[in-house]
Amino acid sequence: MTPASGTILTGLGVGLNAVRGEVFRVKPQATLPGPAKHAGDAAGEKETLRGAIHHVAGYLDELSVKAGETSAEIFEALKMLLEDEDLFETAIAEIESGWNAATAFYVAVDSLDAIFAGDAAFEERLVDLKDLARRVAAHISGIHMGLDLPTTGSYVIVGDDFSPADTAQFTDAVVGVVTIKGGPTSHTAIICRSKSIPALVSCAQAVELVDGMQVLVDPVGDRVVVGGNASMATKAISFLAKSLDPIIPVRANIGSLEDSIQAATTAANGVGLFRTELLYLSETTMPSATKQAKSYAEILSAAPEGPIVVRTIDAGSDKPVPFLDMPHEENPALGIRGFRLIQDHRQFLIDQLESLEVARKETGREVWVMAPMIATASEAIEFAELARGSGDYKVGIMVETPAIAMALADLAGKLDFISVGTNDLSQYLFAADRMNAGLGALLNPWQPALVRMLQVIASESEKAGISSGVCGESASDPAFAVVLAGLGFNSVSASRSQVGAVRSALSAVTLEQAQEVAKVALAATTADQCKSAVLDALAKLA
Amino acid sequence: MITTTVTIEDPIGLHARPAGQIVKLVKESGLTVRMGKAGEDLVLANSPLRMMALKAKTGEQMVVEVETDDQAVADALFAQIQDFLKG
Repeated sequence: MTPASGTILTGLGVGLNAVRGEVFRVKPQATLPGPAKHAGDAAGEKETLRGAIHHVAGYLDELSVKAGETSAEIFEALKMLLEDEDLFETAIAEIESGWNAATAFYVAVDSLDAIFAGDAAFEERLVDLKDLARRVAAHISGIHMGLDLPTTGSYVIVGDDFSPADTAQFTDAVVGVVTIKGGPTSHTAIICRSKSIPALVSCAQAVELVDGMQVLVDPVGDRVVVGGNASMATKAISFLAKSLDPIIPVRANIGSLEDSIQAATTAANGVGLFRTELLYLSETTMPSATKQAKSYAEILSAAPEGPIVVRTIDAGSDKPVPFLDMPHEENPALGIRGFRLIQDHRQFLIDQLESLEVARKETGREVWVMAPMIATASEAIEFAELARGSGDYKVGIMVETPAIAMALADLAGKLDFISVGTNDLSQYLFAADRMNAGLGALLNPWQPALVRMLQVIASESEKAGISSGVCGESASDPAFAVVLAGLGFNSVSASRSQVGAVRSALSAVTLEQAQEVAKVALAATTADQCKSAVLDALAKLA
Repeated sequence: MITTTVTIEDPIGLHARPAGQIVKLVKESGLTVRMGKAGEDLVLANSPLRMMALKAKTGEQMVVEVETDDQAVADALFAQIQDFLKG
C-alpha cells in the first residue's frame, strides 16, 4: 500500500536542514544466474565473452577518468588483468568443455585462487577481479549493476543502505537520502554528514516509499513526511550565542591535507582528531621518513589555530595497510588493529612518531598524539613512553573499549589527555557490529548505557587529572555536544561541516545549564526518550 | 635472439603493477618477449597473470629474451623492464 500524503515515517536524522525531493528508489540488485551450460554454440559464446569483457574494460576506463591521476593506475592494472590473454584462454577452454560464457569466466578467475594461494599482495586484486567477473556476468545477462542515479532534478534516494561504492556515485541531483537499515555511524550517515546531504537512516517504514512521490526529509524531526513541504520542517533549536566563546573548545576532525585546509576556514579551535591512516592506505610500499615528515608538515601548517591531536595509525585487517603484513581475521573489529599493531610493527609506529616530530619542529605547532584501540593501562603506559621518547608531545589515548574506561584511575600522572571515540565505544559496549546495517538502533548515541558510560569516563578522567574530549560522530550533533560538556568533557571535536553548529550550541548555554541538560539525559531509560527530553530541556533554555 | 638478466628490486616482488607495465610495453613494441626465473622455463611476456604466476620475489634474477637482432632495440627494452622492476 502506498502511504497517503501526510504519513510520517520515523528513523534517525542526519543533518540540520530539511529538504523536499522526489523519491528515487534504488532497486535491490537482481541475482545473477548460477552456473549453466551453453546450447552448443561455442563460437557465439566466445564472442559474447569477448564483448562483455570489452564492455567492463570500458567501465574501468570511466572509473579511471573519474578517479583522477592518483587512482588511475589501479584501474589500469585491473583492466590489464581483466583482459589478460591467459585468463581468456582458460575461459575459452571452459566454453569448449560446455560452460556458457559467464560461467566459463567465473571458473577461469576462480582457477587463480590455487595459483596465487598465499600471495597476500595479490589477494586484494583477486577480490577486485572476482567483482569484475560478476560485472561480466551481469552484462551478459543484461543486469545493470550501477545505481543509475539521475543527474538533474532534486531526488531523495531510498535504499537498504549504501556502500562506499554506491555513495561515490551520488550525483548533484541527490538532495536527500533515506536508508531502511544502517545506523548513525553507517557509511551513508558519515558521508551525508560530511557532504551536508540531509538524511534519515534506520527508517524501516521507508520500504513503503515508491518512485515519484514527493517527500520531505526532516532530519531534526528524525522523520520523513510524505507530501510534506518546507513549512513542516522541524526547526533545529536555534541556539543564540550568549558568549563569544563556547563553554568548551570545539575542534575539527581531519584526515588529509584538503580536510586540514577546509577546517582552517571554520571557527574550529585546532584539530581534535587527525586520522593518519589515509596517508598510508594508498601507498604500496612504506613511505620514507622524509616523505612522511613532509606530508605531516603540510597538514600541520594548514590546520586551524590551536592544538592538533594526531591519532597514530588506526588500521586493521578490514582496512589493511598494503605494505604491512595484516593476515585475514574472522572478526577484524576485535582483532589486531590500532595500537595492537605494535606486536608485529613496532618500528612502523616509531617511524610515524619520529616523522611527526620532525614536522612538529619544522612548523612550530602544538601537537598531541594518541593511540587507538587501547584496552589496558599497561598498553596506555607503553604508548606514552614510546611517544615521549620520540618527541615533545602531549600524550593521550583513545577511549573506545569499555575495558580502558574502567581503568582510567590507573593512568593518573601517566597521560595528559584521553579522547573518546563514541562510534567504536558503542560497537564494543553494545556488542553491535558497526558494519551490520540491521543494528543501527543499538549504535544510537542517545542510548542511555552509552550516556552513562560517558559520564563515568568524564568523571574518572577528571579525578585522575587527565583532560578529556570526545571525537566520535556523536560530538557533531549540537544537542549531544551540550550533554557532553555537561557530563564534564573538556573539549569536543566535530566533522568540519558541523563545527559552526556545535560551536553555536556550546556558546548558547552556560556550563551550569549544560550540567542540568546532562542530568536529564542521565535520567532517561530509552534512546528516544533521552533525545526528546534533552531537546525539550534545550528548547526551554533557548 | 638477444638475452639479458634483470633483477627484481621491487619490495613486493613481481606483482600486478610491474607485470602489467611489462606486458603493456611488450605489446606496444610488437616484439616477442619471453621471461622466466634464471634456470627455469621462459614464458611469453604477454599476460600479466602468467608473469605473476612465476612468483618471482625481491632480489631474484630473471632472464629476458627478445626475438630481434637489433641490439639497440633490445637494450632499450631491457632498460625499461629493469626500470619497472625497481618498484
